[in-house]
Amino acid sequence: MRDGRGGIRGVLASLALGVAIGLAPAQASVAGLKVESLAAGLFYENLSRTVVWKGDTASSKIQASLITARAELGFGKGVVVGLSAGLALTDFKGLTFTSLPVNLQYDAPPLKGFCLGAEAVAPLVKLSEFEISGTGRVVYSFGMSKTWPLEGFAVEGKAAGNSSWVEAALGPRVSYLFFGRVLPYLEVSARWLGAGFEMTETLGDLAGTETKRVRGDFSFSVTLGVDATVTDRVAIKARGGILPFAGGVDSLLSLGVLYKF
Amino acid sequence: MTTPSGRIARAVTALLIVLCAGLGTSDGSLPRRQLKKAVGPSLRPPAGLRVERPRIRRRAPLYAPDRVLVRFRPDVDETYADGLLRSYGFPAVRRIPGIGVYSVRTAAGVSVTETLAMLRRNGDIELARPDYRARLADVPNDPYFLNYQYNLRNRGGILDISPDIQPQTTAGADIKATTAWDVTKGGAETIIAIVDTGVDMTHPELVSKLVSSGHDFANNDDDATDDVWHGTHVAGIAAADTNNAVGIAGVAWNCRILPVKVTDATGDGFYSWIIDGIIWAADHGADVINVSLGGNYPDPFLEDACKYAHDKGAVVVAAAGNDGIALVLYPAAYDAYVLAVAASDYNDEIADFSSFGPEVDVAAPGVWILAPAPQWYVGDGFLPYLFGSGTSMAAPHVAGLAALIKSVKPDLSVDDIMKLIRYTADDINRTAHPGRDDYAGYGRINMTRALAPYILK
Repeated sequence: MRDGRGGIRGVLASLALGVAIGLAPAQASVAGLKVESLAAGLFYENLSRTVVWKGDTASSKIQASLITARAELGFGKGVVVGLSAGLALTDFKGLTFTSLPVNLQYDAPPLKGFCLGAEAVAPLVKLSEFEISGTGRVVYSFGMSKTWPLEGFAVEGKAAGNSSWVEAALGPRVSYLFFGRVLPYLEVSARWLGAGFEMTETLGDLAGTETKRVRGDFSFSVTLGVDATVTDRVAIKARGGILPFAGGVDSLLSLGVLYKF
Repeated sequence: MTTPSGRIARAVTALLIVLCAGLGTSDGSLPRRQLKKAVGPSLRPPAGLRVERPRIRRRAPLYAPDRVLVRFRPDVDETYADGLLRSYGFPAVRRIPGIGVYSVRTAAGVSVTETLAMLRRNGDIELARPDYRARLADVPNDPYFLNYQYNLRNRGGILDISPDIQPQTTAGADIKATTAWDVTKGGAETIIAIVDTGVDMTHPELVSKLVSSGHDFANNDDDATDDVWHGTHVAGIAAADTNNAVGIAGVAWNCRILPVKVTDATGDGFYSWIIDGIIWAADHGADVINVSLGGNYPDPFLEDACKYAHDKGAVVVAAAGNDGIALVLYPAAYDAYVLAVAASDYNDEIADFSSFGPEVDVAAPGVWILAPAPQWYVGDGFLPYLFGSGTSMAAPHVAGLAALIKSVKPDLSVDDIMKLIRYTADDINRTAHPGRDDYAGYGRINMTRALAPYILK
């Protein structure tokens, strides 16, 4: 995974740019790239995804909490692109490594790391009090690493793990425009998750490395959200959603406040 | 060109080969006589036993998601402790009498991790722990497992071998087999070669476990039937038919046995037969080769055979010897290619007969080990089992563990399997000899540590 990290970042940068720009429909045209408004704020997000890591027979959960600083750029005709960066806490409880000399099971506190994100909303159609938009979002969390001592063995040992994940979502949003300053919406998104966790184990002169991957775990989410303009300068954005899967449901939550310049 | 003196030396070496380790220290007749009472009709009929075991294994949470256990410092008053816990707003607090531990239900929406972090910040609290999930360990229904196989799971108490042999055992002085069996019981594709006196191929504990009738290098035929009892006993320890409601449990439940006979009817053999046997076993798919025998003299050809098997991907395990002296037998002493096994007892002490030296890698139980024996050997009216002692009995425990590791980690190299077995052992004689030593090596093998996941916290 280390080797591929640079590549992943490159792909993500392209993906973010693609989400930010590519989603803007034809009506945004070239003129859409002119920034007409700017807002910045803080967001808290929490998301959980039940995944089956490649090679596993049982599922486990990836649960992440993100605190990010976000800048939102308005490009005219309602096209908004948000870029965010911040800290991430990701919990991999239940993840097991069975190809190492000594099997390891992850039951440690969440791993600290960083995250980068991009989000875009572009209005497509307006029908009376309803507006249909296209939305896209990508979040990349990286830089999560930790070392644990392996105790109780005849020789000294340690385990070192590092991880990253990326989630992308794409789908339509239906907003209800009736309330003016308060904009409730319903969003249905297709979500894609990729994750990797490399664990290196050293026990005396016995060593092994195992990389667990989730490649392209697809899911759908149904999200209810609201964008509320509290004052001319301050806006609050909140949304919560579910990601149903066979045998359970995952969730996502986002809450943030923005200051408009 | 071989000089006359070289030829003489080689001839003398060949003549002096005594497979002392292979025959164990116990006389089969003693346990045979005692077994009649020890495992006789007083036992509950196996058919009457019922073992409930879960059919589906889900990856359940490691601990209760809404409960933690807390203990206050000794100087904290009980009333104060009760009040303090309630002041946190926990919906339910229960004191477990006797040890002053509280079971606390976490507040709604607050995780166990958050609750523990909060409690650990309080200076009055000595310990705050998750309420870990427990489960039934896999216990085979073989009737002698519970009371006689201390080597696999030692619950403490008296080991009732005979009226005059009733040693007190120490709970936990065992190879931690049951929790390891939750991880794996081995696969039928994993083959343990028993390079020994042959195997009783009609024994109910072994008949379904044999890959083939093996090869007899003493008589040069394809019938490795046991003429003694030793190989049958060793094979049963490693991989007796288990959970079949009969007799004993083997270390590697589902692995199969390849009998290789390298002794004559007296139980003696020559290095050439052992060399042939090891190479034949390696060529016939053995993943693990157990050699519970050996000689006092080094021999480069024997070492070459061990290297051949090692390089072919077989883990070679051998008995250290039963002379109680500073001389590990060959092939056990070939450190690079063979795991040398010393014998421990029911109290996790090294047996006084166990030979020692820098070549010893690990120890395993080798005192009063109950395992199969040929019916013709024990005689009519006796059960076909006997208690045997020796490093010969210790080695197949390690061979069984190696087979289990091989079953679940087929890509692990032979060297890595050998290291894994060494490094996961319990340092049972650390008081007198901390760390690796010449008596127990790295320690008595610990199957659970070798096979069950280590929990990263």
